Amino acid sequence: MARSWTLATSYARRELRGGLAGFRVFLACLTLGVAAIAGVGSVSSALVEGLSQEGQTILGGDVALRLAHREATPEEFAYISQGTRVTKNAEMRAMAQAPRTDERTLIELKSVDGLYPLYGDVTLNPQMDLADALAKKEGRFGVAVEPNLMDRLNAQVGDILKIGELDVELRAVIEHEPDRVGGGLALGPRVFVNDAAMAETGLIRQGSLVQFFYRIQMPEDARTNGAVAAWVDDLREALPDAGWRIQDRSDSAPSVRRFVERVALFLSLVGLTALVVGGVGVGNAVNSYLEGKREVIATFKCLGAPGTLIFQMYLVQVMALAIVGVVLGLLLGSIIPFVVQQVAGDMIPIPTRFALYMGPLVLAGAYGLLTALAFAIWPLARAREIPASSLFRDLITPTRRWPRVPYILATGFSLLGLVGLAVGLTEERLFAIWFVVGAAASFVILRLTAVGFMALAKRAPRIRVPELRLAIANLHRPGAATSSVVLSLGLGLTLLVAVSLIDGNISQQVSDELPDRAPSFFFVDIGPDQVDGFEALVRAVDGVHEFNRVPMLRGKITDVAGTASENLSVPPNVKWALQGDRGITYSREMPEGSTLVRGDWWPQDYSGKMLVSLSEELAAGFGVGPGDEITVNVLGRNLTAEIANTREIDWTTVGINFVLVFSPGVLESAPHTFLATVSMDAGEEAALQRSVTRAYPNITSVRVKEALEAVNSMVEDFALAVRAISMVTLVAGVLVLGGAMAAGHRRRVYDAVVLKVLGATRGRVLTAYLYEYALLGFGTAIIASAAGGLVAWLVITQVMDARWTFLPGTLVATVVGAAVLTIVLGLAGTWQALSAKAAPVLRAE
Amino acid sequence: MNVDHAATSSSLSSGSASQDAVVQLQDVHLTLPSDAGDVNILRGISLDVAKGEAVGLVGPSGSGKSTLLMVLAGLERQSSGSVHLAGADFSKLNEDGLAKFRLAHVGIVFQSFHLVPTMTALENVAVPLELAGHADPFGKAAEELEHVGLGHRLSHYPGQLSGGEQQRVALARAVAGDPEILLADEPTGNLDGTTGEQIIDLMFDLHKRRGTTMVLITHDADLAQACDRVVRLRDGQVENIAPGTGRVMPQDKVTG
Ligand SMILES: Nc1ncnc2c1ncn2[C@@H]1O[C@H](COP(=O)(O)OP(=O)(O)O)[C@@H](O)[C@H]1O
Ligand SMILES: [Mg+2]
Repeated sequence: MARSWTLATSYARRELRGGLAGFRVFLACLTLGVAAIAGVGSVSSALVEGLSQEGQTILGGDVALRLAHREATPEEFAYISQGTRVTKNAEMRAMAQAPRTDERTLIELKSVDGLYPLYGDVTLNPQMDLADALAKKEGRFGVAVEPNLMDRLNAQVGDILKIGELDVELRAVIEHEPDRVGGGLALGPRVFVNDAAMAETGLIRQGSLVQFFYRIQMPEDARTNGAVAAWVDDLREALPDAGWRIQDRSDSAPSVRRFVERVALFLSLVGLTALVVGGVGVGNAVNSYLEGKREVIATFKCLGAPGTLIFQMYLVQVMALAIVGVVLGLLLGSIIPFVVQQVAGDMIPIPTRFALYMGPLVLAGAYGLLTALAFAIWPLARAREIPASSLFRDLITPTRRWPRVPYILATGFSLLGLVGLAVGLTEERLFAIWFVVGAAASFVILRLTAVGFMALAKRAPRIRVPELRLAIANLHRPGAATSSVVLSLGLGLTLLVAVSLIDGNISQQVSDELPDRAPSFFFVDIGPDQVDGFEALVRAVDGVHEFNRVPMLRGKITDVAGTASENLSVPPNVKWALQGDRGITYSREMPEGSTLVRGDWWPQDYSGKMLVSLSEELAAGFGVGPGDEITVNVLGRNLTAEIANTREIDWTTVGINFVLVFSPGVLESAPHTFLATVSMDAGEEAALQRSVTRAYPNITSVRVKEALEAVNSMVEDFALAVRAISMVTLVAGVLVLGGAMAAGHRRRVYDAVVLKVLGATRGRVLTAYLYEYALLGFGTAIIASAAGGLVAWLVITQVMDARWTFLPGTLVATVVGAAVLTIVLGLAGTWQALSAKAAPVLRAE
Repeated sequence: MNVDHAATSSSLSSGSASQDAVVQLQDVHLTLPSDAGDVNILRGISLDVAKGEAVGLVGPSGSGKSTLLMVLAGLERQSSGSVHLAGADFSKLNEDGLAKFRLAHVGIVFQSFHLVPTMTALENVAVPLELAGHADPFGKAAEELEHVGLGHRLSHYPGQLSGGEQQRVALARAVAGDPEILLADEPTGNLDGTTGEQIIDLMFDLHKRRGTTMVLITHDADLAQACDRVVRLRDGQVENIAPGTGRVMPQDKVTG
C-alpha cells in the first residue's frame, strides 16, 4: 500500500509538470469558498472577542444593576457602594423640542453623575470634558447629543432645546459613547444631561417609565470574572427582593453576542454553500482534466498499472492542488478582517479585536479539503475504470459505470464530514440542520430538474427555426454543460431568491402593512392627574379616529409557582420574560385582541385576592396554569397573584397588549402612569404632536411611523450584508459556468467552423448560441425561483408565522438577471469561437 | 445533352475565361505569414472548370492542393487574382456572403470527415438543409443517408460509426442541398481500399446523375484519370493539365 502511494506520488509529480492551465477554475472555486468561510469566521471572532474583552466598557462597569421606576434605597446603595465605585444613571425616553426651528423629536435621555464613565471615554465635538459640557453655566444646563438629533431638529451647537420643562443649551455632539452597545434598540438620538438637570426637567415622576442604572467598578484586585461572579452571588443573597436586573462583565451584551453569533453562523453556512457550489466546478475540472488524460490512463493500463495506482496517482495531483487552493483561500480569508477594519472599522458599533484567529481558519481549511474530496473522488474513481481499449474510442461512449462501492462510500463520508462540521460545531443546531436540509434538498431538486430539462430537450419536437433547434439540441448533447450549470448557478440563485423574498416580505410588513394596522402614536408617561385632560385634548384634534388608554407599570417576575426565576429552567422562546422588567397593567375587562385559552375572566366588580391573566405562550413555557402563583416585583414590593386564566394574544394588531394583566385592586393604588394609543389621519400627526408637547412637556410621544423606520433601516442594513454574502455563492456559480464554457470551448470552435463550412453565417451561429444560453439561463432561473420561493414561503409562514406576500418584481428581476448573466458570460466565452478562421481548424484535424 | 457538350468544349479550351465555366480562377496568389516569414502557397493559378465537369487535382504533398480547395470553398481568401464561382465574384463577398454562397452552391467533403461529433448522423446531414430553410430537412436527410446506404444508422453518433460510414455521412451532408459544385479533399485518404472505392462510386454516381461540377483532390492516379481532366500542381503552380479517360460507371455495383 505505502509503496503504491510512493509510486503514485512520483508519477503524479511528473504529470503535474504539464502545467495547471485546466485548474484555474478548480483553484478559484476552492479559494473563493474557503476565503468566504475563513473571512466570516475571522470577523465574527474579532467581534465576539472584542465583546468579551471589552465587557466592562460595554457594560459601563464590572457589574450593572437596572431598576425600573425607582432608585435604589439607601440601604441598597450602601451595600453596593461598599468598597466599590458606583455611578448612577437614569435613562428614559422623552421629547426634545427646538424653539428656534419648532421641530421636536423623541430622544433617549440619559443622566450622568461625576463618576461616569467608569470605563472608556466619552468623546465630544467640540472637544470638551463631559462634566463641563453638561454643567450649569450662566443659569443654564448644557446637553451633549448624538449627531442625528441635529438633523431631526435642524439644530446646531449653541441652540436652546426644551426637554420636559427645562431649557438647556446644546453644547456638544457625542462622537463616542463607550457603553452604547449595551443600551439596546434606540428609537431616538441619545441626549446626555447631568443629574441636577434631570431633576429639573420634571420628567421623573411617580410611575414614569424611567430606568435607573447602577454601574459598579470593583477594586482593582477584584476585577476577575470569578471575583465579580462571587460578588454578584453575595448581592443576590443579601438583597433578594431588590428586583433589579443584574449583568456582569463576563457577558456584557448577551443579545448582541447572540446576534453576532447567529449572523456569523448564517453567513458561514452561506459560505459553505458557495464552497459546495464551487465543488461542482471542482468536479468538472477534475473530470475534464481526466478526460484529457484518457490516453495516458489507457496507456498506463496497457503497461499493466492497476486501477488503484491510477486512482492514487490522480488523487495525489488533485489534493496537492486542493491544498494550494485552500491555502490561498486561507490567506485571503485571514486578510478580510483587516480589510474590514480599514474600510468599515469606524462604522462597527461594537468593540473589535482584529487578529489572526486559528479556530476559524482551521475550520475553513477542513471545509475546503472535504469539499475537494467529496467532489473529486467520484470522477477519479470513474477514471480508474477507463479500459485500455479506450485508446480507440471517444467522447460518445464514456465509461458510464458507477464507481465501485468504496469510492461511493468515501464520497459519502466526505459529505457527511461537511455536514457534521456545519451542524456539530454550533449551538444553534436546529437552524444549521434546517439550512443543510434546505441546501441539500435544493441540490437534489436542481439536479433532478437538470436531468428532466435535458430529457425534455431531447424529446422536444424538431422546431422549424434551425438556430433554435440547434440550441435545444446543444442542451442535451453528450458532454453538454447543462447539468452542472443548472446545479451551480441554480443553487446560488435559489439562495439569492430566498434571501431577497424573505427580506422583501419583512420590509413589506414593517414599512407597508404594520403602519396600516398600527396606531399612529404611542403616548407614554401620562400622569394620573394629566390623563383626563390629555384625552380631551387628543379627542378635540381633527382626524383622530381612535383613542385608547391603559394604566401601565413595570414589574419583574421574581417567582413562578414557588420557584425563584433565577432557578427556573425554561425553553429559549420565553427566556426573555424572565430577564429584566416587563410592562404590566390591570383591567376589569379582558383586553381587545385576546382570546381566553384556559380559565375564566374575573367579574367586572371583582375585589378579592389579586389575580393575574398570563399569556398562553408564557404559561406553556413556564409550565404553569390557572391556580398557580406568580410573584412580580413592582417598585421594590413583591406582589403575589394567582393565575386566573391564560390568553392567546394577537400581536400583529400592534395595539396595547400585555403578557401580564392583573385584577384591579392593589395595583390601582400603586403609583403609575398611563399609556395611550391614537389612530389618526397621517396629515394631522405633526399638529397633534405639537400640541401635546406644548401642553404636556413630560409626555413622550412615539410616532409609530418613525419607530418603524428606525427598525426598517436596521433590517435593511442587515439584509444588505446577507445579500452581499449570498452573492459569493452566485460568484461561485458564475465561476463554474465560466469553467464549463472554457471546457467546452474547443468543441464550440470546431462546431462553429463546421457550421460555417456548411454555409451558416456568423449571425446565425451567434443566434443559435444566444438561444442556447437564454434557454439555459431562463430555465435555471425559473427552477431556482421556484425553489427559492418555496424556501422563503416556508420561512415566512412556518418559521416566522407571518403573512406571505408574493413579490413578483423580485422574482422577475432575478430571472431576467440570471438569464442576462448567462447570455453575457456565454457569449463572452464564445465570441472567439465565432470569429475563428475556418482553414486552420479544418487543417488541424 | 448541352451540359455534356459544354463540359467537353471547356476541357479543350482550358485556361481561358468561358461563359459556361462554373469555376474561374485568374492568376490566384496566396501568401500566408508563418514563423519563418511569409510563405507563397499559391503562386499564380488560373483555371476554368465547366459546368458538369469533373476535375482531378493531383500533385506532391505540400504543393497547395488543399489550400486551393479552401480558396474555391471561400474558406481561405486569395491574396491577389480573381475567383469566380457560379457567376459570383468572391472578392466582392464578405465572410457571411461566402457562407451564404456555400449554402446555395457548394458541397465539401474532407479527408477527415469533419462531422460534428455531438450530432447524430441524421442531424449532421440535416444541418445544411435546415440552414437553407428546406421544407422537410430531416426527411430529406434521411433520404440522402438511405441513398449512401446508411438508412439504418440515422441516430448513431459519428463516434459510433466506422471511418467509411462517417465519410458516407459527410458525403450525404455535402450533396443533400443539391449543390452545383462538389469539392472533395482526398475523401478516401483515411479509408481502406474497398471502403474508399464505395465512396468514389457514390461521388461519381452523383456527379453523373445530377450533373454536379466536381473538383476532386486525390493521390490515386487511377482515380484522377477517371475525371474529365487532371490538373497537376507543383509548388503552388499549375504544372500541367491533361485530359482524363473519364469513368466507366459500373452501373450494377453502385449504391450499397
Ligand atoms: N496556415 C498556414 N501557414 C503557413 N503555411 C501553411 C499554412 N497552411 C498550409 N501551409 C503550407 O502551405 C503548403 C501547402 O499546403 P497544402 O495546401 O495543405 O498542400 P497539399 O494539400 O497539396 O499537401 C504546405 O507547405 C503547408 O505547409
Ligand atoms: Mg492536402
